[in-house]
Parts: sequence; structure tokens; C-alpha cells
Amino acid sequence: MQRRTSPPLQRLRRQFFARAGGLGLTGLLGSVAWEAMAESFVDFPFANGRRELVTNFPQKGAMLLQRTRPPLLETPFEVFDQGVFTPNDRFYVRWHLADVPSVVDPATFRLNVRGHVTQPVSLTLDDLVRKFEPVELAAVNQCSGNSRGFFNPRVPGGQWANGAIGNARWLGVRLKDVLDHASVKAGALQVRFRGLDKGVIAQTPDFMKSLAVDHARDGEVMIAYAMNGEPLPLLNGFPLRLVVPGWYATYWVKMLDDIEVLDKPDDNFWTTKAYLIPDTPFANVKPGQQGVKMVPINRMLPRSFFTNLQDGAVLKAGPTATVRGIAFGGDSGLAKVLFSSDATGSWQEARLGKDYGRYSFQQWELPVRLSAGQHRLMIKAVNAAGMAQPDHANWNGAGFMRNVIESVSVRAA
Amino acid sequence: MSTGLRDVALIGLGLTLWTALTSGPAWPQNPGAPAPTEKAAKRPVRTWSKLSVELPASQTLFPAGDGADIANGQCLICHSAGMVLRQPPLTQDEWRSEINKMRNAFGAPLPADQVDALARYLYSIDGSRAPTDRAVLDGQGS
Repeated sequence: MQRRTSPPLQRLRRQFFARAGGLGLTGLLGSVAWEAMAESFVDFPFANGRRELVTNFPQKGAMLLQRTRPPLLETPFEVFDQGVFTPNDRFYVRWHLADVPSVVDPATFRLNVRGHVTQPVSLTLDDLVRKFEPVELAAVNQCSGNSRGFFNPRVPGGQWANGAIGNARWLGVRLKDVLDHASVKAGALQVRFRGLDKGVIAQTPDFMKSLAVDHARDGEVMIAYAMNGEPLPLLNGFPLRLVVPGWYATYWVKMLDDIEVLDKPDDNFWTTKAYLIPDTPFANVKPGQQGVKMVPINRMLPRSFFTNLQDGAVLKAGPTATVRGIAFGGDSGLAKVLFSSDATGSWQEARLGKDYGRYSFQQWELPVRLSAGQHRLMIKAVNAAGMAQPDHANWNGAGFMRNVIESVSVRAA
Repeated sequence: MSTGLRDVALIGLGLTLWTALTSGPAWPQNPGAPAPTEKAAKRPVRTWSKLSVELPASQTLFPAGDGADIANGQCLICHSAGMVLRQPPLTQDEWRSEINKMRNAFGAPLPADQVDALARYLYSIDGSRAPTDRAVLDGQGS
């Protein structure tokens, strides 16, 4: 991973921006004064979009607070300008159920594999590390509802901006190898995953997600025990997390301790009644449209973002500036990233940074020279399957799978 | 945001770009590097340690108003108030739908005869009248 070696001025700038917004010009008094101030926040451009920057979650640096319990923490977007991998202490956090264990003891932790198998097994963490071949994969983890706050009309749910996403090197074992160890019986249909988290009242359904047995055994789906070279932070699923490359994070079950092979379709709440999308291209429907077939959310779509430029930025007219960002292909590799500096649809290809594999973020950059005046800059990813980000925002009632072309309006002077 | 604060913001953004332009290439180019998708990794030598953390508690209560007692008594059983306070403005019917989702899908013990009072309260603190601002619910438990 490459990082800029300059001080994290952008982060300071953002905090300064936020504090200046909340405290008026007192923010100009200097960095010593900033550090003494507890408050800082970011205002996203949608109603009720103020997010406090907090540092009081374990193993986490400054994160944007959406909900304390169960935690929903967004990655401040400037983090994505610092490198292609998202640091563990800045990686976004999303839990559904409030009884998240705050203590996990590897001495007693077991991963159980059971159900429609010949040999149910109960594995320790050491078993996983020692008995199975380790594999490492760079992959983007993105919340199904990432960017939901930008939906118009608005929809309820976690009101994320674009930071419910991250990219990490996942180290662990193939799910296939673990399933083979237990010997899946003929007739298996699905594999269901559950973690240690629970609801606080008995009536709340346990969080469980399932994959088709062929998907579970494709050799790519992993059980990760490390993330960016370290054990996972508790809030990202310590000690084990399912990694489903190219699929939305709802399937990446955290604190994974139970794998159940099913010989009939999974009928649990979270599979049949939640995380459903319209079975249409880009899961797109018209607001209020009825009678659309719904299916479980699945493969991710291509996306790209600016990371060193924000909406409303003022640039110097004339000299060449480097515009850069990140992109990924969704469920297939990134083919190209296209940039446009006007609204006429003239696209030029950005230069891509190091390729860490088909499921990873890849950085892009492009020299840009702007004449004086207002400019709308747009960025568009095209994946290896030929799918491009759409011109118009996709919409659905749950706020899933937003992947419209991103744009920023800047002024050169 | 006042004009003065907007000026401060623009100064900040200008500094950001300057930083980007003077800090050199974003990453070294290495066109000849292989592009592994998945690779056999070095077997980690690891001793597993017990992990014990403290998760922060929320101190936030719902703003005062007729029905705030229901919100504080019921909603906070399963989640902190921030989730509600950061939702987009919803119509009273939409708030009622959200409340019933919590009851029917997640087992919230809110008595049926308090649903309307809670919907009125949530509408009073985060209500939407404008049709253009109206959310369109699909009622999923996600």
C-alpha cells in the first residue's frame, strides 16, 4: 500500500471546516485551540445530514457517528485519498442488533459447521490457521445502503453518505475447504451464516444470511481471520468474518461462529424479508412503482469517486492539476475509469494505479487543466463485464445499490 | 450557512487542493507489477489474545414533547436515538409504518394503542409535509 507522505492536512482541513462551521471564526485561533475542542462534525448535503466526528469507539479513530447503539460509523471520505486500502481503525461499522459481545475469548470461541453434512465440526481459531491453506484477497466491502442519504426521494434506513465502504486485504481460509472438511451431503441447497451478535429482546430475529451452496463452494468466498495484516477490530467482526468477494456486505457476516448447511431454502427473516431488491437493471424502479418482483440483493455494481476534490472546490485556472480518486468494478474487475470535465459527454480515460485484483479498489488519476469559470467534473467506472455507471441515479424503496456517475462542481479562477 | 462561514469553507477547500498539487504523485507507478487476484498467503504465526472492549453508551434522549416518554421508553430498548433523529423528514403515515415495522418485524413491545401517539410525536420532531420531500417506503426490515 502506498500512502502520501505529506501530513494529513486534508483531515485537519475537514475538521477545521467542520469546527469553523460550528464555532464561527474561533476556529482560526490555531491548532492548539482546535485540539482542545471536543466538537467537530461534517454536514452532508441532505436533510438531517449533520454527522459528529467521534473518537470514542474501541479500536477506531475519528469516525462519523450515525448511531451509537448498535454502532453505525461512517468512514470520513478523505480517508479514501490516503491509499487504496482502508485502515482498520477507519473502516466503517454497521451492526443490526444491539447485543454485540464486547468480549471475545479465543480460548473458548468455536466455529461450528453443521446441518446437512456428514461430519459436523467445531473448530478453534488455531484449527483454522493450522489445518487449512491460508489465502489472501484484496476486496471491497460495501454496505448495501451505502449512499442512501443521497436518494431522492429520500428513504428511511441508515442515512449514509458515500463512506459505508472500505477496501482491505483479507487473510483467512477458503469456505470451500472448511465445508469439505465437514463433508457436505448430496442435496445441500444453501449455506447459512450466523454470528455472535443478538437482539436485546427475544422476539428479534437473529441476524443470518445465506448463500447458494455452489457460491459458498466457489473457492473465492473466505472466512477471514485478519484484515490488512492484523486481527479484525471487534466492530468489524473479530475474530472471524465471512468475505464474499464482489457481493454486498450484508453477506459478510461478522463474528461468524455458525455455518449451517441447509437442504431446503433458507426461510429466515433476514433472507426472505430484508435486503431485497427489485429484479430490474441496477435495481432501479420508479418511486411508488408496485408489483415488481423482488430478489435478495447480490452482486455489487461498479463505482468511482473523486478523493482529492470536493463539490464547491475552487481551483487555480490555467496550470495543470492532478485530479484523483478510487474506483472498483463491483463483481468483476475494473476495465477503465473515464473522466469528463464538461457536460457534453466527452470522456477521457484516467490512468490507473496498481492493480490489486478484481475485487479491490484501484486508484485513478488524471492531469486536468481548467479555464476560468464553473466546471462540472464527472467520473465513471466501467467494469470488465462492460457495465458502466449510469448517467441517472438508480432508485428503489430500500435505498440500495446507488452507483450513479459521481460529479463535483468546481470553479477555476 | 452564513456568507462568512461559506468563505471560510472555500479557503479550506483551496488549501486542500494546494496540498494535493504539491505533495507529488499519489502513488508510484509500477506497470510491470503482477496483479494477483488471490494468492496463497504466508501462514501467519499468531497467538490469539482475548479481546475485551468497552462500547460507548448513548446519552441522547428524544427532545421534549408530547410522546417523548413513549419514544424514550420504547425506541431506546433496541437502538439509540440518533438513528431516529438522523432519518429524513417523514409523513405521519410513514412514521406509523416505521413504528409498525419495529413491532412486527423486530418484536418491539410497543402497545398497539400507543402507535398513533408515537407517530404524532415523531412527525412533530421530524415531519415532512412537502410532497417533493416525501420518502417512499417499501417496508423492508433492513
